[in-house]
Amino acid sequence: MEFKVEAHRIMSISLGKIYNSRVQRGGIKLHKNLLVSLVLRSARQVYLSDYYGGICLSAQQAREWCEGEYMASKQGKLVPGSTESLSESDEQSEVAVDKQETRDVVESPAGLHVETQASGEQDSAENGVSDSGCSDIKNPEESPEATQTCEVASVVTAISSNCISAHSPSDPKEETETPTDCQTDNSESAEKHSYEPKAPQAYTNRKRTADDSELTDSPTKRTKLTSTSLPSTNDENKGETEEMDTSNVSSLITIFGSSFSGLLSNKEGEQSDSEAEDSDSGQICCDQMLKNLNPWSTAIVAF
Amino acid sequence: MGEDTESSKGNHSFLRDYVTEADVISTVDSTTQENLLATGDKGGRVVVFQRETVSSLLPPTSSHLLSSLLPLPPLLSQPKGELDQVGETGESGEYNVYSTFQSHEPDFDYLKSLEIEEKINKIRWLPQQNAAHFLLSTNDKTIKLWKVSERDKQPEGYNLKDEEGRVKDISTVTSLQVPVLRPTDLMVEVRPRRVFSNGHTYHVNSISVNSDGETYLSADDLRINMWHLGITDRSFNIVDIKPANMEELTEVITAAEFHPHHCHLFVYSSSKGSLRLCDMRASALCDRHTKLFEEPEDPGSRSFFSEIVSSVSDVKFSHNGRYLLTRDYLTAKVWDLHMEKGPVETYQVHDYLRTKLCSLYENDCIFDKFECVWNSSDSVIMTGAYNSFFRMFDRETGRGVTLEAWRETSKPRAVLRTRRIYTGGKRRRGDVGVDSLDFTKKILHMAWHPEENIIAIASTNNLYIFQDRVSPDTQGPDLGSDTI
Repeated sequence: MEFKVEAHRIMSISLGKIYNSRVQRGGIKLHKNLLVSLVLRSARQVYLSDYYGGICLSAQQAREWCEGEYMASKQGKLVPGSTESLSESDEQSEVAVDKQETRDVVESPAGLHVETQASGEQDSAENGVSDSGCSDIKNPEESPEATQTCEVASVVTAISSNCISAHSPSDPKEETETPTDCQTDNSESAEKHSYEPKAPQAYTNRKRTADDSELTDSPTKRTKLTSTSLPSTNDENKGETEEMDTSNVSSLITIFGSSFSGLLSNKEGEQSDSEAEDSDSGQICCDQMLKNLNPWSTAIVAF
Repeated sequence: MGEDTESSKGNHSFLRDYVTEADVISTVDSTTQENLLATGDKGGRVVVFQRETVSSLLPPTSSHLLSSLLPLPPLLSQPKGELDQVGETGESGEYNVYSTFQSHEPDFDYLKSLEIEEKINKIRWLPQQNAAHFLLSTNDKTIKLWKVSERDKQPEGYNLKDEEGRVKDISTVTSLQVPVLRPTDLMVEVRPRRVFSNGHTYHVNSISVNSDGETYLSADDLRINMWHLGITDRSFNIVDIKPANMEELTEVITAAEFHPHHCHLFVYSSSKGSLRLCDMRASALCDRHTKLFEEPEDPGSRSFFSEIVSSVSDVKFSHNGRYLLTRDYLTAKVWDLHMEKGPVETYQVHDYLRTKLCSLYENDCIFDKFECVWNSSDSVIMTGAYNSFFRMFDRETGRGVTLEAWRETSKPRAVLRTRRIYTGGKRRRGDVGVDSLDFTKKILHMAWHPEENIIAIASTNNLYIFQDRVSPDTQGPDLGSDTI
């Protein structure tokens, strides 16, 4: 198991580097980030190699949730000014989305940097803000699970760049939202979409949906699909691919988030607890993940 | 600011408060110049040093914030430890600051909301054609051609202007005179002659002047452009490895150089460890290489960091144009242009770091880009390492020596001692343990004089210049028996 711990650590470090490269002077260095993404990919392959064969008990349920949340996150994710300069307009949207995607993925484990990030660039059109998410992160006495969920919620906050907004704050632990709400929200424009972590029955599902809210993988797939046939909004009929990507990314974000929540909470016990929990949730979707590791990894590479 | 003062007497007490980031040297070049050496730093400044060849040597002055000089400690194998006489006449002179100028300023790309660093990535001298010297300097996006010229005469006696340059009142002019040139104090003028901008989308990492004296190439992460020195609004794109779908990006260009004699050949290295030799006569866009130099990866040494470690950080043609020298993180390799399947020589620079790659990845040291240089006769190669160490390898014997560029341990005119890294076995006095290496003191940039055995080593904000005292003009320094 040691190699998994090592791989996990390397993955956390790599994501931290990708995240930090955003704020570096002079723009993102393509070479360094390419190398970091290669390391990330190798570490992830090692880490997940042990997960293969795990049976996803609530995979079906998770898939439904993923589908619902997936709708929400695909709204208008084009990044206006991507840091990677591209003069070709046809590629710009795709790469911009990739940039957005990777950036958002990175933001997830970096809930620690919420406040600094909140004043950062406005990446996404999505303005879903969970104000309580910000405050939750400051409460150390919360359980690791809640902390981690709050982290994820606060990442949503960060993405929108309006951390202290007038949006209706919702306690991420509230279980009043239903899937139908989510789907109703999907029809709204991205700007108006006040995304809140939905509350599925299982905790793991809730975490996943919270992660999906700032899903970055989906926009990429969305954009590609859009160029071929399907309209981008309100399309409930996802291919299997996207659902799996959704859960891939979400569970991976969960895993990464756990490591950072461990750092935040600064307690070994909490860390192991949260990691164990995330391992379970990770395992639940592992088989789906493994089938579609490539798009996500290449997306990071593109970043 | 990092103020460095130095007295010419024996007591060298350097006052150094702290090193500012902007003073860190980021490139050194002296390739085509006999007497000039240029360094660029992170603050966008270029400092040109000139070697004094006159008999009366001035005491070394290094009042410049950028660097301090150690005037030519000899480089020898037999440790002597004796200080030589200061100010020998007739010997090669010392390097003094010739000129300083601000080459690049911080810029901002409004379209992409990106700040463009002013850090000088590369400087390359042009072959000298007249009394003036030309150099190309580049930051991430813009390349500039600078003319460095001397002026030691000044016209005097204008009719319409007075001494200060103000226009005279015509009514006061009673007689006409012919302006004459009068000698004045030597002035070094540096003027930008060309600005080559908007050629690159990604960060420029290399420039290389062609042997035809008219063109040069600039390489960024995904493209290589060829420019004409006289034309700034156009460039030819000769290599483009950008994939149609950026998600499929697997490698980037890390360095590029023209062949020293054939103006149609150039080589570029990639982050995957491969080198591609391209012939511009084959096609306008040299995406298809003429030769691909690649060493198959050793499956036994595979780790998380194999890709990073195999990324080539620098590539240099030998002076005779037959070999290529490449540097990746742990090794330096010499390739024969006629053999593509692998290098002909591999030198381990600091193999003891192979087990420490994970911690080097954490502190970002694994991304350091070391440069490598040939000596004038292509018999010795040199590259940098950590802890202010740099290594020289004698190609004929295959042996290497470790030297240190650190002023606390070397006095001017003193002989450099060879150092050893302790990795096991019998430990000698003076050996440095691997864990006590200072990874913040890294030697990334260096230059070797094109004809003589004079080397310039840049260490953070200091520039060290070493010379082989015994045989300045012979083949190579006599390397001792110390090996690592």
